[in-house]
Amino acid sequence: MNEGKLANRGSYFYAMVAAVLVLLAGPVVFGFDNYFLHICITIAFNVMLAVSMWLIWTLGLVSFAHAGFMGIGAYTAALLFLNFGWPLWFTLIAAGIVSGIFALVLAVPLMRTTAVYFFMASWAVGEVIKRIFAHFRNTFGGWDGLFNIRPPVLHLGEYTLNFSSRLNYYYLALAGCLLVVFFVNRIHSCRIGKTYWSIYDNETLAQHVGINTRGNKIAAFAIACAIAGMTGALYAHYHTYINPKSFDIWQSEFVLIYMIVGGLNTIVGPIAGAIVLTVLDELLRPTEYYRVIIFGVIVILSVLLFPGGLEALASRVRKAFGRRRHETPKEGEAK
Amino acid sequence: MDIGLFTQTALTAVTLGLMYALIAIGLTLIFGVMRIVQYAHGELYMLGAYALYYATTQLGIPYWFSVILSAAALFVVGAVLQVVLFRPLIGKNMLYSLAVSMGLIFIISSGGLLMFGTVVRGIPSPFDGGITMLGALLTYERLTISLISGALIIGLWQFLAHTKMGMSLRAVSEDAEVASLQGVNTKRTHWIAFGLGSALAAIAGCLMGTLLSIVPTMGFGATMKAFMIVIMGGLGSIPGALIGAMILGVIDSFGTTLLNADIAYIIGFSVIFITLVIRPTGLFGQRWDG
Repeated sequence: MNEGKLANRGSYFYAMVAAVLVLLAGPVVFGFDNYFLHICITIAFNVMLAVSMWLIWTLGLVSFAHAGFMGIGAYTAALLFLNFGWPLWFTLIAAGIVSGIFALVLAVPLMRTTAVYFFMASWAVGEVIKRIFAHFRNTFGGWDGLFNIRPPVLHLGEYTLNFSSRLNYYYLALAGCLLVVFFVNRIHSCRIGKTYWSIYDNETLAQHVGINTRGNKIAAFAIACAIAGMTGALYAHYHTYINPKSFDIWQSEFVLIYMIVGGLNTIVGPIAGAIVLTVLDELLRPTEYYRVIIFGVIVILSVLLFPGGLEALASRVRKAFGRRRHETPKEGEAK
Repeated sequence: MDIGLFTQTALTAVTLGLMYALIAIGLTLIFGVMRIVQYAHGELYMLGAYALYYATTQLGIPYWFSVILSAAALFVVGAVLQVVLFRPLIGKNMLYSLAVSMGLIFIISSGGLLMFGTVVRGIPSPFDGGITMLGALLTYERLTISLISGALIIGLWQFLAHTKMGMSLRAVSEDAEVASLQGVNTKRTHWIAFGLGSALAAIAGCLMGTLLSIVPTMGFGATMKAFMIVIMGGLGSIPGALIGAMILGVIDSFGTTLLNADIAYIIGFSVIFITLVIRPTGLFGQRWDG
């Protein structure tokens, strides 16, 4: 599925280092304004969601509950902050743990279903989570949501870092995003990742080889949902305001679209999809009423014209120009 | 809860259930025959309602004739969508058809907002009056709507059971390869199934539009209901869709009357979740490895 990656690991490593350096130095060197930083932070959140969703996908599952678990994380963080004054550092961990535990408990019955039934069952889970936030007005603030979830202030001796500045929050979000990408990439490239793909390819066969498919699925689901929950905590402290609408089915669907447009076979896919589509959505802002329509057209066209997604674009271009020397082995298109 | 309120709620449950069934059966037909996720089904239901609105109020075409026109128009729209967008995706992972139909939702619903405006509109109903029984009022409108939905469902059942076309639809949904070996034109069955499903959604939109009111954003709610029903009943199963629709009708009607809409949703989704946990392929479902 991804033999091509191993061939030139060195150049990938340098490209990664260069990208990280650009991301770190970019805002200072080019002097990003607040609007641009906001887009970058949004991209970071979307990449975290897309990459964690992709982790579930490597087992052949598509979850519609992802935004719901992000919501559990966000509400955990918000309630801990508002009631007990916990700063982000602790609410982040608590959010991960709480949504991870919820995911673990729910995954046990969820994993009885497969394919399309799974994503409908997960849809039910996501929708119930959202409606519970909306219904219990006293605890969760109902449809109005929760306000005043302030970003943290870090005291380092005589030096204080205030994360209500966009630039500082950008670095925080970037750090979170890079950690998540690194973590998921590690899972993906070690033995566990191979186990996941074997379940994706043929679950029955994987079972016969002695892989505990059910246990692996539950574990992967819980890990991905914990990541989503932590993203939720970061989201809540960034926007300082959350309501159930931020975590509804559309949020999950957008993450799915990032994944499909980006490509499903390597981790580059969801990252590329999240970046390109978030930027595209912002670029379409001047078209006002036509924005959603154009977005829809682009999604349809990219699915029909580039079935391998953005990640396969490089090899397509290479093929078009006939440079067969460097051609990577053909990526298997998702079945 | 006194007897009058109870009967009234029960009657609403049946009407709602039959209406839901009409949308859901169209969806399950598309699902069963093509094995693709048609997520924009509710948008076609919305278009059907608007077609009726413009035909009756702007062009002055009589109500029942407009319903037929709307169904025919949406049959064509569905068939064209299948040929242009969904045909290349058959046999691929369902994620692709999901993405394409999500794109369709964006295009149709915000295109609808641009074309039809954000105003809530009502379609004038050709009926008035009603009968009172057991302290509940049953309007002739609701009675006719329920009868029409029931008749359509029975008609579709007969069509699938006895006509040559219906049998080939069933054959394709059973096993497309074997069906094409037996000389069934699978491509044709695909667009016919998609068109039929869309036409059923359009009729449901027309009937519901008369009963309630229409807005360009009503499509997604219908998609949601249809998916809940189809999954609960099992993909590709028409009796399953009927029973699922009735269960959801009862939950929605009683839940909304006794408690509130949010709780009705929570109960509805919990029932689906529990159904799927107990029977992972729905009540009457076929296995579906995508």
